[in-house]
Amino acid sequence: MDIPKVFNKKNRILLAELTKTDFKLRYQGSVLGYLWALLRPLMMFAILYMVFAKLLKFGNDIPHYPVYLLCGTTMWSFFTECTSQGIQAIVVRGDLIRKISFPKYIVVVSATLTAVINMLINLVVVIIFALINGVEPSWTWLLVPLSLLELYILSLGISFLLGAINVRYRDITSIWDVIIQALFYAVPIIYPISMVASSSIVAAKVLLLNPIAQAIQDIRHNLITPETITTWNYVDNSFLQILPIILIIIVMILAALYFRKKSKFFAEEI
Amino acid sequence: MLKHKIGTRKEIVTNGDIAIHVSDLHKSFKLPTEKAFGLKQAFFNRLRGIKGFKEQKVLNGLNFDIKKGEFIGIVGRNGSGKSTLLKTLAGIYYPQKGEIIIDGNLIPFIELGVGFNPELTGRENVYLNGAMLGFSNKEINDMYEKIWDFAELKDFQDQKLKNYSSGMQVRLAFSIAIRARGDILLLDEVLAVGDAAFQQKCNDYFASLKGKQTVILVTHSMENVVKFCNRAILIEDGKIKHDGNPKKIAEAYRKLWN
Repeated sequence: MDIPKVFNKKNRILLAELTKTDFKLRYQGSVLGYLWALLRPLMMFAILYMVFAKLLKFGNDIPHYPVYLLCGTTMWSFFTECTSQGIQAIVVRGDLIRKISFPKYIVVVSATLTAVINMLINLVVVIIFALINGVEPSWTWLLVPLSLLELYILSLGISFLLGAINVRYRDITSIWDVIIQALFYAVPIIYPISMVASSSIVAAKVLLLNPIAQAIQDIRHNLITPETITTWNYVDNSFLQILPIILIIIVMILAALYFRKKSKFFAEEI
Repeated sequence: MLKHKIGTRKEIVTNGDIAIHVSDLHKSFKLPTEKAFGLKQAFFNRLRGIKGFKEQKVLNGLNFDIKKGEFIGIVGRNGSGKSTLLKTLAGIYYPQKGEIIIDGNLIPFIELGVGFNPELTGRENVYLNGAMLGFSNKEINDMYEKIWDFAELKDFQDQKLKNYSSGMQVRLAFSIAIRARGDILLLDEVLAVGDAAFQQKCNDYFASLKGKQTVILVTHSMENVVKFCNRAILIEDGKIKHDGNPKKIAEAYRKLWN
């Protein structure tokens, strides 16, 4: 795969047009339309906030806890939306793949870009809430895009790998739904990691080796409060500190190799 | 995954007079014997030593060259491998063995209106389908009026596509398709669209291509083969049975059933 060809004019046009169409179709026929991109995660947040912050009294030790929670749920929604759309992309766009010849990665990327757009809109809301909540803007905000990129690369890697397997074995979609449910509780989103640490420090450290947890905690650390526990300030072994990033690189390499090998045969296997 | 050494498909640009070179082209498909879509079935099949698929040979060593400027018809019964050949030439399927060399920019029309979405308006679909053919927004803007004039559907451009009749959809798709500019056109059964008046327009368009462009046409209409093509190929069981004069090929095609 040579780089100039990957980004040639024809492929760029196709990517842009497919992304636009995905985004347009998502909210077709709904009265509030694009507003749902904002409303859905906000409502999710309201529910989690009532249950976990108000009822169960989580996060009393964390400053700006509501925004901290909102930030976490926003990033989590981004990850789940990105992967579930990405994994299904090849099957959903089967008609295109059977009728025209183009690099197959385009359908996966276009499906995940819709999630990126939604996330960016929601990020603006998080920042507005943060400012209302009294969070001081800081230079560390400039580091947030790095973590977002990290989370996106991980989602892309998972989408390419599982999406390619999903062409043959449609079970993947169902399995991934279950994994997402399990991961939701394994990532410190609704509960503060300090809660885990109070009963087992090792368990808390293990949870922070998950790349998703690492990225989300970094974003909270840089955007909301420097008091956030992150992989960097909590795990002390320097190899373990970079383990999440190594994991992402491994997923990406596996995904690229497998996708390249299998994508030649998508047209006949879908 | 495949036992054979995988074939190649190359696109090059030269000043030679061969538009498409095909040598020893093979393609087979794996057809699942039992429903193998699912991890459980795949697992049990492996346990029982069942491969889970049988190999169906579709193209069996095709050899031919197409010269630049030829209007070539590909004919044959259903299931003879015509469409698979076209899709392999188009780069949709991967050749299993053999070589395809394509000289110039190839535009495939395996189907009209690829990517058409019923929930979008005619206007939006023009841009979407245009993107599939490689047109930028600006290029579509420039040809936008001509597309709707040719389709004779101007009053419907802001209606959703689901409110179009199927004939109207094909007319719109065809009007976009003929805007595509390439050196080689691959057409799969797209001649018969719309009512008599629109068909006349299409025929005029195809007649205008003759001699100017390399065209490969897959069809069952011997009338069209004789009318448009200056060479034809009859395919039977994934092999070339006859290659030559369109009239003789049309004759041989009719004899397939006698």
